[in-house]
Amino acid sequence: MNNGVNIQTIVVIAECFEGGIRPVSYELLGFAEALQQEKPAKIKILLLGDGVKNFARDLAQTTGEDVVGIEAPHLAQYNGQVHQAVLYNLLNENPPAYVCAAHSSQGWDFGPSLAARLQATCITSVIRVSARDGKICFSRDIYGGKVSADIISKTKTTLVTVQPGAFRWNSRPKQEPGAVEIISVAIDPQTSQTISTHMHQASDLDLSQAKVIVAAGRGIGDEENLDLIHQLASAIPQSVVCGSRPIIDQGWLSYDRQVGVTGATVSPDLYLACGISGAAQHVSGMQGSALVVSINTDPMAAIFNQSDVCIAEDLTVFIPILLEKLSETSQTK
Amino acid sequence: MKIIVCVKQVPEAETQVQIDADGRWVTLGAGTEFRMNRFDECAVEAAVQIKRKFADTHIHILSIGPQRAEAVIRRSIGMGADDGTHILTAKEGFVEPFRIATWLATCPQAQSADLILCGAMSEDLMQGQVGPLLAATLSLPCTTSVVDISINPENEQVNVAREIEGGYRQTLVLNLPAVLTIQTGINQPRYPALSKLLRANRLPLEVLQADQLEQPQSYQEVERLLPPRKTRDAVFLKGTTHEKAEQLITILSNRSLLT
Repeated sequence: MNNGVNIQTIVVIAECFEGGIRPVSYELLGFAEALQQEKPAKIKILLLGDGVKNFARDLAQTTGEDVVGIEAPHLAQYNGQVHQAVLYNLLNENPPAYVCAAHSSQGWDFGPSLAARLQATCITSVIRVSARDGKICFSRDIYGGKVSADIISKTKTTLVTVQPGAFRWNSRPKQEPGAVEIISVAIDPQTSQTISTHMHQASDLDLSQAKVIVAAGRGIGDEENLDLIHQLASAIPQSVVCGSRPIIDQGWLSYDRQVGVTGATVSPDLYLACGISGAAQHVSGMQGSALVVSINTDPMAAIFNQSDVCIAEDLTVFIPILLEKLSETSQTK
Repeated sequence: MKIIVCVKQVPEAETQVQIDADGRWVTLGAGTEFRMNRFDECAVEAAVQIKRKFADTHIHILSIGPQRAEAVIRRSIGMGADDGTHILTAKEGFVEPFRIATWLATCPQAQSADLILCGAMSEDLMQGQVGPLLAATLSLPCTTSVVDISINPENEQVNVAREIEGGYRQTLVLNLPAVLTIQTGINQPRYPALSKLLRANRLPLEVLQADQLEQPQSYQEVERLLPPRKTRDAVFLKGTTHEKAEQLITILSNRSLLT
């Protein structure tokens, strides 16, 4: 796959799901282009599935990059072992400098073990790429976003999973479409088989349209305090209550109200984060909000770095006072 | 059935984290409290639930960390695990996931396990790599973000559901032995029973010195740590609690968010 002597390859693993290319595939391209700025390399997009010819053609057209579609009946539904085996067979002969996958339920599933087989390092949930003294640094959040770590690879091939929402790809005006190649592979999944892919609990709630979101995080403490969040939402017009993963796991809010990597991606006019720590998994779901206001007792909470307005207060004290003043304000109107 | 659960001790989320002068790692604030990683707690609970169904199940806990990490092995035993191995690291600091997986894989208990459970990620470093890397090292099938487990002993298989994006789930069948990484929400981990905790505290743990185990080639390095980047203005409201509430109302009204 590495054609020239000096020019290296960045392989982008695009994702398709439910009959379409997942938007995160374009974000991966944004990441690959950012990486290209630091290290000149050729981009090649791989797309795995059953019947991906048209998607591959679309991708080559929109991006201008070369696309390889890999088809097999067993690729119709995602399976980690199958994905890993197909990619390993494809990349092992001439491993590229970089393999980029999304930090998604697919990428975090096949990424580390594919890397291990390619004797490549794996760096997950990357949010930034930069160069320092000629070394490529991949930045990721640790300690709930309180610290950013620059990791460097010491292997010939590096596999990176890219945090959704961290990179943007700007479409270019008309260009030459990339070349499309379709490969059929035979694969017999032996140790792991995907039986079904299904909607677990259907929901009518469309958070992507919400104007105001009042979100609760682990910092609310007890379930009773969720009542304050509901009261606050009632006091602000057109608002919806959501939560970060811990709140959903506790069963305090239904799963369709989860914002973040495994939940919804939202972009309201106002995102009011109450007791949310600000880990990358949550932030990637709300960073498109127009105005972010955060309330947290911990003045060092990572969420404050992603906020326009920061309120370092105990929400059980602050919200009742805010509610009181909001009701005074509405009465004077 | 032999089950291995890999658990990690992590600092409480509210912990103060100070970047070291050389920028290579962090020092945690004095009086930092440590506990079991929540994902791992769910993995221990899942193992204990399997043991309830299949009486001849043995649960062995593996944990890597400094002396203090012993507490999470004992807590796991308090929850219902049988015994554990502590891979003792000499000092605090970052150990890359490939090395962690290699050390875990050298344990004979891991090599002979029917099922290996790990948390989907740790709450402090959030890499989500150890489970899949351990599977790759032992050449076992693996699946991540598991929210349901059902053992099928006749076929030596496990049926699982894994969580994917947008409210979807996938169901899979894996041949045993297999590695599963557990997503939170799969169960509500029990509190350790007092009687079991007393036993756990008396039980001798197997201790392996990490620096005497196989040391694989290093794949990655922390170049430096930095304070997180601000993506927005991060203006802290000042004054009394009442004044802050008033300022917030002004900000929201100016943006017509209260009408």
